[in-house]
Amino acid sequence: MTSDAVIQRFMEMAVKAAAKAVRVNSAARLNEALPSIIQLGDKAGPRIFCPRSTEKEKAVIIPEDLFTTDYFDADVCIEEVSGAIAETGSIICTSHGGKAVQAGLLPSHHVAIVPQDRIFETLDDYFESCREAPPTNITLETGPSRTADIELTLTVGVHGPERLSIIVF
Amino acid sequence: MSRSTTAIPFRVNTARAVCDASLRQAMDYSTRTFSAKRAEGTAQVPLEEWRERASAIRMQVLDNLADYVDRFSANATRAGAVVHRAKDAQIARDTVAAILKDRGIKMVVKAKSMVTEEIHLNKRLEEIGIEPVETDLGEYIVQIAGETPSHILAPAIHKSRKDIGRLFADKLGIEYTDDPEVLTKVARRVLREKFLAAKAGITGANFAIADTGSLVIFTNEGNGRMVTTLPRLHVAVLSVEKVIPSLADLSTFVRLLPRSASGQILSSYLSVITGTRKQGETTGAREIHIVLVDNGRSEIVKGEFREILKCIRCSACMNVCPVYKVIGGHAYGCTYPGPMGIVLTAVLEGMERAHPLQDATTFCGACVEVCPVKVPLSKLLRRLRERRAEQRLTPLVERLAMFGFGTVTQSPALFGLGQRMSWSVWPLLKDFSRSKLFVRLPRPARKTFKRSMS
Amino acid sequence: MRVLLFATCLVDTFYPDTGEATVRLLRHFGVETAFPKRQTCCGKPADSAGYPEQVKKAARHFLSTFEGTDPIVIPSGSCASMVKNHYPELFKDDPDMIRKAQGVADRTFELTQFLVHRLQADKAGLKGSGKVTYHSSCQLMRELGVRDEPIMLLKSLAGAEFVPLPNSTQCCGFGGVFMGKLPEVSMALADEKAEAIIGTGAHVVTGCDHGCLMNIADAMKRRGSSIEVKHIAQVLAEGV
Repeated sequence: MTSDAVIQRFMEMAVKAAAKAVRVNSAARLNEALPSIIQLGDKAGPRIFCPRSTEKEKAVIIPEDLFTTDYFDADVCIEEVSGAIAETGSIICTSHGGKAVQAGLLPSHHVAIVPQDRIFETLDDYFESCREAPPTNITLETGPSRTADIELTLTVGVHGPERLSIIVF
Repeated sequence: MSRSTTAIPFRVNTARAVCDASLRQAMDYSTRTFSAKRAEGTAQVPLEEWRERASAIRMQVLDNLADYVDRFSANATRAGAVVHRAKDAQIARDTVAAILKDRGIKMVVKAKSMVTEEIHLNKRLEEIGIEPVETDLGEYIVQIAGETPSHILAPAIHKSRKDIGRLFADKLGIEYTDDPEVLTKVARRVLREKFLAAKAGITGANFAIADTGSLVIFTNEGNGRMVTTLPRLHVAVLSVEKVIPSLADLSTFVRLLPRSASGQILSSYLSVITGTRKQGETTGAREIHIVLVDNGRSEIVKGEFREILKCIRCSACMNVCPVYKVIGGHAYGCTYPGPMGIVLTAVLEGMERAHPLQDATTFCGACVEVCPVKVPLSKLLRRLRERRAEQRLTPLVERLAMFGFGTVTQSPALFGLGQRMSWSVWPLLKDFSRSKLFVRLPRPARKTFKRSMS
Repeated sequence: MRVLLFATCLVDTFYPDTGEATVRLLRHFGVETAFPKRQTCCGKPADSAGYPEQVKKAARHFLSTFEGTDPIVIPSGSCASMVKNHYPELFKDDPDMIRKAQGVADRTFELTQFLVHRLQADKAGLKGSGKVTYHSSCQLMRELGVRDEPIMLLKSLAGAEFVPLPNSTQCCGFGGVFMGKLPEVSMALADEKAEAIIGTGAHVVTGCDHGCLMNIADAMKRRGSSIEVKHIAQVLAEGV
């Protein structure tokens, strides 16, 4: 069980890396929080991808007309990720269990559900846990995609998502 | 490997760079910003402890480099990758070219990799009709400008937003804008099409894990992830010294690399890729080739400059270097600029070509202070100057003057004579010497301190 | 107390006033200064140019000239670092010489180091005047670790105002032989330094190394600036 202090630390660090972070304690709360996270009103009919393979993903309510099974075509990807690291505010995405890591990369908004019992306190804790047999692809995602290649002016969303939202559940 | 023995025209390059006001302004701003961010990002952490640990791990690898490389290769192979060993740059280029050509690849997307610059891979690919598309924004900018990176991390650091705006208008046919956000979005659109169309991707690697055969890639933009997850073929080109023992060692470098580079706690994306896509998986290339580039490193690691192979390419040393800051990366005329570049170029390309770069240090030691893996850069730079003098690559007049200097320092009488003479001949030197030096030095005192103490 | 003064070749040849100021300053604190007449140069120019055999000649001469037990005081960060850090390294294959070099290194102090740590000169209420700014020379700071001592001394001057120099730790572009090897770069760096100094509104810029100060003075002269460039020994000695 992850302590509240570690969860708190993770959320602070994620926000520091320009992600948005909320914590919910039930599926109902998650669905209440979603519309403002995705800002459904923003754009007419954003296309939302969700693998709907884990329990938490299945609990996400997405209007069917917005739902897509093709992440290449999606504006938003909502998925449960493997975990998170408090030290850096990173979410952990892995290919474990057939997950498509690129699904969180292509759409311009990545909404990551972080299982609250999978938040590691430090980088060492995480790498130690998988050092023997790492999944084919581990990606630590820390904030949105960014570049500073033009006069060191920070610009988000160069190739990956412009927005990263985290729901600790 | 054919080595050029023509010395880099460094002195001319620097004189020209100093006069380039737009370059000076861009370099001043960017190096200042990078250094300030690094200072801020490392202020509240146990930096010294991390540096010690990182340095020790790097030395451990260098002490047993061949073993670690073998271990990495065996484990990467077990994970499904095909490992190629390239003794020199030409073999490395040919290996990559053959892999792509055999599979009928016409276009390949690339994430930023300095070692592919070192081996001049793009040129080779173009020669055989394969289009390499750089996808790191900075690298893309220098590629369409027909230039090379001037910084190992921010390749287009020497360009202003206006330069980039004009370049995009010219090459991509968009309306001129110098808004970085708009320019970035244009690149996103152009490159997204390339990512989706590409059948192959090329990356470097920041680290390679011996225990698991994993490749570790840091990016901020997400292009590294695109390149490694979308195309079915992934070719990773990395130099052999990138190996570290295990995933457990990685955290130390994860803490140090982004902080030293840009002050970030962590880059946006850190990917650890272990072999090809397994059954039931939906991520990962189906075919991975790892090209391990030696290019002289197995010899370098045995020599007196071995510690330069500890370098993790964070760029902190160039960001704080007063000389780099004034002249920018292109003046160095080689792949790796700045303090680490001076040393690495000497051992990779040979003294005949690289020796002029060795003038580019004031021994201020700023680089030593920031290096996250404690490469003793001042010591290595001084040693390079010693080798240069030994190999008679310094002007004869300098060698004679230094011999004279050594002799005079042993003899108070000669030393005193020299002091008196310098007072007398100074006006002549000042007026008739071609060197600007004498104009800048004051005239010696008529009566030395020693004589006033008598 | 008695100290041996190594004036450095720059002070000896170009800036005798700094040598005199150093003696006066030390005398004020009751320190007798002996000046070994046989002294020449520490060998620094050959060291940074890459001629260790020539440096060894200078080093051997220095070590025999400065034998004894008295502390050795040097009004220069880079020369003091040469003696303290580079000499022992230079003779690393010769145990006898290492011992000798280490013995001398242990007795060697850069002037402000000696003033603060041995003489508590920063608490002596020295007097000063005007606005003073300070350039930290690189080897003083990074090889000897002397960062605060000069500033403590300058801040202690009654009647003077210490103004910090922005970007004070950036190299002024002197670098010994560097100045001759890449003169354009050297001048560009000195120009930046001069601009920063002028920006402080100081009347005097000071430092602990005449090499750097010489380079800075040249850049100030090119600008026609009236700001005085003085070695810290002179600034402090004015207040005794």
